Amino acid sequence: MNQPSAALPHHGILSLEQKMHWRIAWISTVDHKRLGILYMLTGLFFFVVGGIEALFIRLQLAIPNNKLIAPDTFNQLFTMHGTTMLFLVVMPVMFGLANYFIPLQVGARDMAFPRLNALGYWLVPFGGILLHFSVLAGGAPAVGWFAYAPLNETPYSSQLGVDYWALALLVMGIGSVSTSINIIATVLCMRGPGMTLRRLPLFTWINFVNSFIVILAIPVLNAALVMLLIDRRLAAHFFLPSGGGSAIMWQHIFWAFGHPEVYILALPAFGIISEVIPVFSRKPIFGYEFVAGSSVAIGLLSFGVWAHHMFTVGMGRAADTFFAFSSMLIAIPTGVKVLNWSVTMLGGRIRFTTAMLFCIAFLIQFTCGGLSGISHAIVPLDWQTKNSYYLIAHFHFIAVGGIVFAVFAALYYWFPKISGRMLSERLGRWTFWLMVIGFNMTFIIQHVLGLAGMPRRVYTYPDLPGWGWMNMVSTIGAFFMAVAALVFVYNLINSMFRGAPAGDNPWNAWTLEWATTSPPPHENFHALPPIHSRRPLWDLANPDRPDPVVGPHGKVDAVTLEKNKTGVLAFILSEAGFFGVLILAFLFYNANPQPGPGPKELNLLKTGIFSLCLFASSFTIWRSEVALHREQHRMMKLWLALTILLGGIFLIGQGLEYWGLFKSGISVSSNLFSTTFFTLTGFHGIHVGIGLIVLLIVLAMALAGDFEKKKSTALEAVSFYWHFVDVVWVFVLTVVYILPRLR
Amino acid sequence: MNTKQFLLSAWSWNPLVIAAAVAALIVYWIFCRDRQRMGYLVAALAVFLLALVSPINALADGYLFSAHMLQHIFLLLLVPALVLLALPREFTLGRKVLAHPLVGWLAGVGSMWLWHAPALCNAAVSSRPVYATQTISLLLLGGVFWWQVIAPREEDRLSPPAAVVYLFTACTACSALGIILTFSPVTVCPIYMHVQDSLGLLNTIRNDWGMTPEKDQQIGGLLMWVPMCAIYLFAILAQLARWFSHSRTEEHAR
Amino acid sequence: MMMKDALISTITSFAPEAPGTHAIVGLWAFSIVVFTLIFAVVVGIIVYSLMRFRWREGEPDPEQIAGNKKVEIIWTVIPFLIVTVLFALTVRTMGLSDPPPAPEPDLIVIGHQWWWEVQYPKSGVITANEIHIPVGKALSVRLDAADVLHEFWVPELARKMTTVPGHPNHIWVEADKPGTYLGVCSEFCGTEHAWMRFLVIADPPEKFAEWEKAQLAPATPPTGEAAQGLALFKQMSCVNCHAINGTPANARVAPDLTHFASRTQFGSGIAANTPENVRRWFQNPQQVKPGVLMPNFKFTDEQVNELVAYFETLK
Repeated sequence: MNQPSAALPHHGILSLEQKMHWRIAWISTVDHKRLGILYMLTGLFFFVVGGIEALFIRLQLAIPNNKLIAPDTFNQLFTMHGTTMLFLVVMPVMFGLANYFIPLQVGARDMAFPRLNALGYWLVPFGGILLHFSVLAGGAPAVGWFAYAPLNETPYSSQLGVDYWALALLVMGIGSVSTSINIIATVLCMRGPGMTLRRLPLFTWINFVNSFIVILAIPVLNAALVMLLIDRRLAAHFFLPSGGGSAIMWQHIFWAFGHPEVYILALPAFGIISEVIPVFSRKPIFGYEFVAGSSVAIGLLSFGVWAHHMFTVGMGRAADTFFAFSSMLIAIPTGVKVLNWSVTMLGGRIRFTTAMLFCIAFLIQFTCGGLSGISHAIVPLDWQTKNSYYLIAHFHFIAVGGIVFAVFAALYYWFPKISGRMLSERLGRWTFWLMVIGFNMTFIIQHVLGLAGMPRRVYTYPDLPGWGWMNMVSTIGAFFMAVAALVFVYNLINSMFRGAPAGDNPWNAWTLEWATTSPPPHENFHALPPIHSRRPLWDLANPDRPDPVVGPHGKVDAVTLEKNKTGVLAFILSEAGFFGVLILAFLFYNANPQPGPGPKELNLLKTGIFSLCLFASSFTIWRSEVALHREQHRMMKLWLALTILLGGIFLIGQGLEYWGLFKSGISVSSNLFSTTFFTLTGFHGIHVGIGLIVLLIVLAMALAGDFEKKKSTALEAVSFYWHFVDVVWVFVLTVVYILPRLR
Repeated sequence: MNTKQFLLSAWSWNPLVIAAAVAALIVYWIFCRDRQRMGYLVAALAVFLLALVSPINALADGYLFSAHMLQHIFLLLLVPALVLLALPREFTLGRKVLAHPLVGWLAGVGSMWLWHAPALCNAAVSSRPVYATQTISLLLLGGVFWWQVIAPREEDRLSPPAAVVYLFTACTACSALGIILTFSPVTVCPIYMHVQDSLGLLNTIRNDWGMTPEKDQQIGGLLMWVPMCAIYLFAILAQLARWFSHSRTEEHAR
Repeated sequence: MMMKDALISTITSFAPEAPGTHAIVGLWAFSIVVFTLIFAVVVGIIVYSLMRFRWREGEPDPEQIAGNKKVEIIWTVIPFLIVTVLFALTVRTMGLSDPPPAPEPDLIVIGHQWWWEVQYPKSGVITANEIHIPVGKALSVRLDAADVLHEFWVPELARKMTTVPGHPNHIWVEADKPGTYLGVCSEFCGTEHAWMRFLVIADPPEKFAEWEKAQLAPATPPTGEAAQGLALFKQMSCVNCHAINGTPANARVAPDLTHFASRTQFGSGIAANTPENVRRWFQNPQQVKPGVLMPNFKFTDEQVNELVAYFETLK
């Protein structure tokens, strides 16, 4: 089964030549494989950090009335543990796997935008440093990973921790969006010949679906963080009830991001499981269409269930009922997936590799976590279990028993491809059993603790009957997991240098990444095998019984879109989400007129004239495109210059309006009208400004003659963005200037 | 009037509505007579009558915004979709006006938003002609919306991935309205605040059912948000099924 | 399992002592049966596969089955039915365990960083951290917050509910049996979130009436060393935050101390209300409850003695 490739060009991850220039090779790399590895290493590093934080948490809780860790330190620890594990561990590792394997699985040479890819990666360590810098700046945030208002506001958290936290999440969020745009563009535009959308391996398909969730959910978080920062730094009151704001609004906006986020973390794990189980069962996945479709269903539903995090804040019976139902619906596609995975093993030939062991553990643990999840959708049960250790146990069953186990499966499965060497299976089994035993020791007992009334996020607890030993068991379990992680890290380092050579396809797997050398050459493939089905390598190995051909080279799936336009469209989708939240916030906070400045301060006529300039610029940029199409380069430059001029006039108009307001003493913090007004129009103005800069670059390119020599899609892509900015202004104009006058 | 009396008596036997339903049945019987698809038509008419004849109509007529919303969903989303499904598979309208997906999208989303502008929403309750216009426009615009997705002929439909985008964006646009209605501290359709209690039902609604105007609007918003999205979601999954089943039909082509 | 008479009992959401929590536990029992069945099916399939279908070196790959539409539809529809049943029960139990509030609350509980203010609007009693209720009577409770979010949770007696500043919430609290029930704040609210515990003490109606009467009386003017304590209390900035009926102190920022000595604990559950513990508190509250909003006044030993003596009189 192992055919070590005779012509293996590299020894280990780096070729000799690359080793000499490792700094340049790694720091300035735009290669998707290296960025993938960097992503995973960053994730692993923070996994150790977050793990140590978890151990300290468990040590403090091991015995009642413990005084090991001071209350504030403890609160910082669990805040950092949650934030780190979600944003600096799971997301980077998942993006790393996606980065490394999606181009390979679709038969591409690289991601669609390699440089954007590098940006997306480097924003992760930057965000990580920002987050941890808070420790030096007066203390890490101590507000919990979802930082509920108004505890996250200056009066209650006056130190800079929360500001660093918000900035770090903003930075990492921007990185996540850029990477997801890249994944979407790669899947839509970079697929090799024959790799139609309906033939995508499930790992790629699910990551593709997931990327849409990311670009729609992250901007919602960004909007919330921006509003929080405006509150904290500019003394506004979005979420501060004492200033007329709404603490519950923070929860709505945060969970409108936060629940999709749960699936952003879980879906890639589903992708991994859908790849590994079939390979080690020697059977194709059972019900590909249903696994693929249920991922879409989960993705869509994830946006309509966030309020189930809020059954105890007093939303009212009606809202509780509706969200109970939509939340329960998610159980259906998830259940379908679990059954498909389980039945894939039925009638197979199951190989108990470490990767497969982790998949089996995943299935069982994830089912437990899913079922305890349903108990949170059953509202009256949630009224007892919310914010207790039962909840902690539930989401660790998903996050560790589900996601982390899937990541272990992925690493044992794909390490040979990445490094060219096998991980030790013997050590793998040690990792597996230590992990499974430790995990269940830590978290099963926490269900009981939660039902016995132990709330989450307490730094200590009184010596109630049973609480002491249960917490002790949980702490011991945590140390088992720590040992498992150590064994794994040792295995990783040891196998990197001393592991058995892997060969191209050690597992006899069927997707395209196994059709190249391990590690793959810089350009990924020398030649692609023919692709007619979802398992091209199966067809190659079993010419007597190939998989049925999937789909024709039909109109839709064979189309590979133009990547610049695709990328910009995905970006616009994401920005639309951001402005959507700001517009909804404006409507919400201004539903009732409030004392102080209001829409009456605004001059509709003046703004109308400047708006006309902006709308006219949409027309001029369109003419510019037409001119380019007709190869009238002078006209094109003229129209482009006119667009910039009109956009500039609009910005000047906005500047004048702001100046007038400032002069009459109205600032961001005057009241909620002024806050929402400046936030909404200000962010629109920033977008116009960015658009102008990009247009100037395009103009410079045009003046340099770039468009005459070769066909460039730059103008088209930019004009999409420019039209979008104008359309946003249509909404802003309506909501801010016109609607209040109709009342 | 208590709940039981209300459920028994508040049926609006509007002759025009009944006539329309009977006429639809007769026309279908004469021109199509597709026994396999007849079920869809019957379902369409059942939902149609449920919306316009059953007590839902009486509630929507000035009592409850949420009932009005339910009617809206039935007429815009369910009835036209079921009628399209009932049509024989060779039926087509040519490709002129309805050809562009943007027209369909605007018809579906626009009718939702427009009829919830406070002035129009009020007018639809207080004036019979406006109410009739609303009902007919919802049915027609709903038909235009669904045409892109479930037109009888495959050629008239969007490709499945495009249809997914079409449905998803429409769902988002409607959810946004639902979210606004749910969280808005002010009434969107003020007429439901000041109920003209023609049936003597107000006491039952406010006390027995516990429906305050605020709660009523919240439920209306939630109806638009959650169940309506569920309909779109179902349609999206149906499109995916359509897409994947294409691949099945051409299985042994190699 | 329960030791209701002891000051500290096990608290658990599985030992309901009120109609609302009984309904929740009933739903629990049903859900657990459903979950167990589902879990058994999944694990059954997995374990059967693992035992029956093992890979052996050299064996050919098995039959390549790619799916079965009918099976998929079945296992989509069955979960849908299960979910529908669970949803119906959810709606029913929501009604039973959380009826709409009464027009006027019997009890107002306000969450502060890190203690609970308790008001009885009908009688005018104001106390802190220890809520006395009559057995067998459902009380409509209005929940409010003075600063950040807190969450009111007495697992045996009621659903939990967040206290939100500017957004009053309502729950019903009722105890079927006399006893002391433990409550906690379950929404993270800052440094001392862990010590924001409280007690609900359910007494027979007569005993409750007695307690209420005693609470309404102003503090008796102290004599001797205790009088020195009162003078100190007035002279220091204590009065800026605390209230003691019968003295000029009437601030509502920190717990009402009129009947301090009648409570069993102080510091929201961090210590039993004994003279030694109170002494430690006066010596340095930050030592006892780090982060508590009461500063360290650096009292002399003599002053501490006077204050403790005074507080002992606040029965």
